[in-house]
Amino acid sequence: MSHGFREFLRALEDAGELQRVKKAVDPRHLSALMAQASQATFFEQIAGYPDWRVAGALVSTRRRLAIAMGCSEAAIATRFEESIRQPIEPTLVDRAPCQDVVLTGNDVDLTRVPIPMMHVKDGGPYISATLVVSKDPEYGRNVGSYRLMYRTPRETGIDLVSPSDMRVYYQRALDRGRPLEIAVAIGVHPFELLAASYKAPIDVDELAVAGGLHGAPVELVRCRTVDLEVPAHAELVLEGELLPIGWTADEGPFGEFSHITGEVKWNPIFRIRAITHRRDPIFYVLQMPWENDWLAAPVIEAAGLQALRVASVQPVAIRAPVGGCCYWTLVASIKKRPGEGKNALLALLSVAEVKLAIVTDDDIDIDDPDQLDWAMTFRVQADQDVLIVSGARGKHIDPSVRAAAMGKGGLPTTAKLGIDATIPEGVPRSHYERLRYFAKDAVRLEDYR
Amino acid sequence: MNPLARVLVAELSERPRHFGELVEAHMETAWRDFLLAWGEVRAADILGRDDDGRYLIRAGAVVS
Repeated sequence: MSHGFREFLRALEDAGELQRVKKAVDPRHLSALMAQASQATFFEQIAGYPDWRVAGALVSTRRRLAIAMGCSEAAIATRFEESIRQPIEPTLVDRAPCQDVVLTGNDVDLTRVPIPMMHVKDGGPYISATLVVSKDPEYGRNVGSYRLMYRTPRETGIDLVSPSDMRVYYQRALDRGRPLEIAVAIGVHPFELLAASYKAPIDVDELAVAGGLHGAPVELVRCRTVDLEVPAHAELVLEGELLPIGWTADEGPFGEFSHITGEVKWNPIFRIRAITHRRDPIFYVLQMPWENDWLAAPVIEAAGLQALRVASVQPVAIRAPVGGCCYWTLVASIKKRPGEGKNALLALLSVAEVKLAIVTDDDIDIDDPDQLDWAMTFRVQADQDVLIVSGARGKHIDPSVRAAAMGKGGLPTTAKLGIDATIPEGVPRSHYERLRYFAKDAVRLEDYR
Repeated sequence: MNPLARVLVAELSERPRHFGELVEAHMETAWRDFLLAWGEVRAADILGRDDDGRYLIRAGAVVS
């Protein structure tokens, strides 16, 4: 069996990374409290929701992501890269904890779920930790993660603006005048969420990618009211359909993964037919923007590693730092041969929306911002080692692309910046010999206290 | 419409407001009751949005 959400909570607690909150908390205060905690948070009592507990901020740091992935922080990218090469198909089970309780008809009521109020300017309470399953007659199953904004007890908005496979599926259903059935699983292991954020080819089942990460098949169960399957061990499942209304309903703003409040968007509506959940459910609040950022890191870092290898550059370490939302910036150290600083930059800047790439040598610890600054100060000549690419594909939520000035439907472009902070060709490595203190290993300060 | 939903409509008729402002004005109301009322306002199909994401009552919208 694959690891479940509850096993992950236990792993966090065993590692001292989960804080339990025992007093009853109003759902309007959940996010604010999580933001003050240095650990992941587990709320044992929710005011007005006696049957529910809430967990959140589970992968808000690289350390907690590493715990989720069962590896060291340094090994996150390679662990992800190796696993996606070995997908394992999911298996189907007959009975599932996520269907301990099945609510249909008049019993469908989202207000019975402790959906939190997250940010000051959000357009409503949001469900953020979603694994959304859909199916297309030609392309098969797709899994992605899409935010849901509460509208009514049976309806949410869903952000389907960005290009995605499910957007294609929805458009194809819309062309036939049909709704698109979806099922939303909440409270699944981060491996499922990582697989969902991985841009797999349209005919690749992301749940098989999740199986590769688990090293075991993801157990699925058939939904009760839609022709879809969901992870059997999910805490909560919403079954229903995207109405064939196109991009016509207001949705947002929402606190985006860029750490900025987004805009009102026009999107479809998700109408819920059934709610199923465990007997003692735990609602997962994916705390924006940190968890969204960190869940992107393995995907972007692995893409960077692959790009470097295709460019025949030998990577030593790679990071998608949280300052770049684990998405827009890649920093890599390499074992450099002449010219490979620039080759590495070209490779890294080819990765999706990466707009800043920094490459340095393998003697620099890229987790240490001071060392990185030092390398950029003394290994870079701006007129020779900075690369700017204009007119690459941009993303709306980056304010610097000035998307608002383009009008509705405009697709923004962006400039990309590469900094080659490797030792320049022609400069001996000995010129970078670091200071060493005389007799450093011969004396110990504690012996003199 | 339930009484709280009517209050929300009245507040939005007064001026556009962010959802968070409405929430803040009714913290004494249980969250579930607030969401049920908000659901009624939503279902009435009377809401519009301004450029900053505030909710407003659309011009000419009929509140039943």
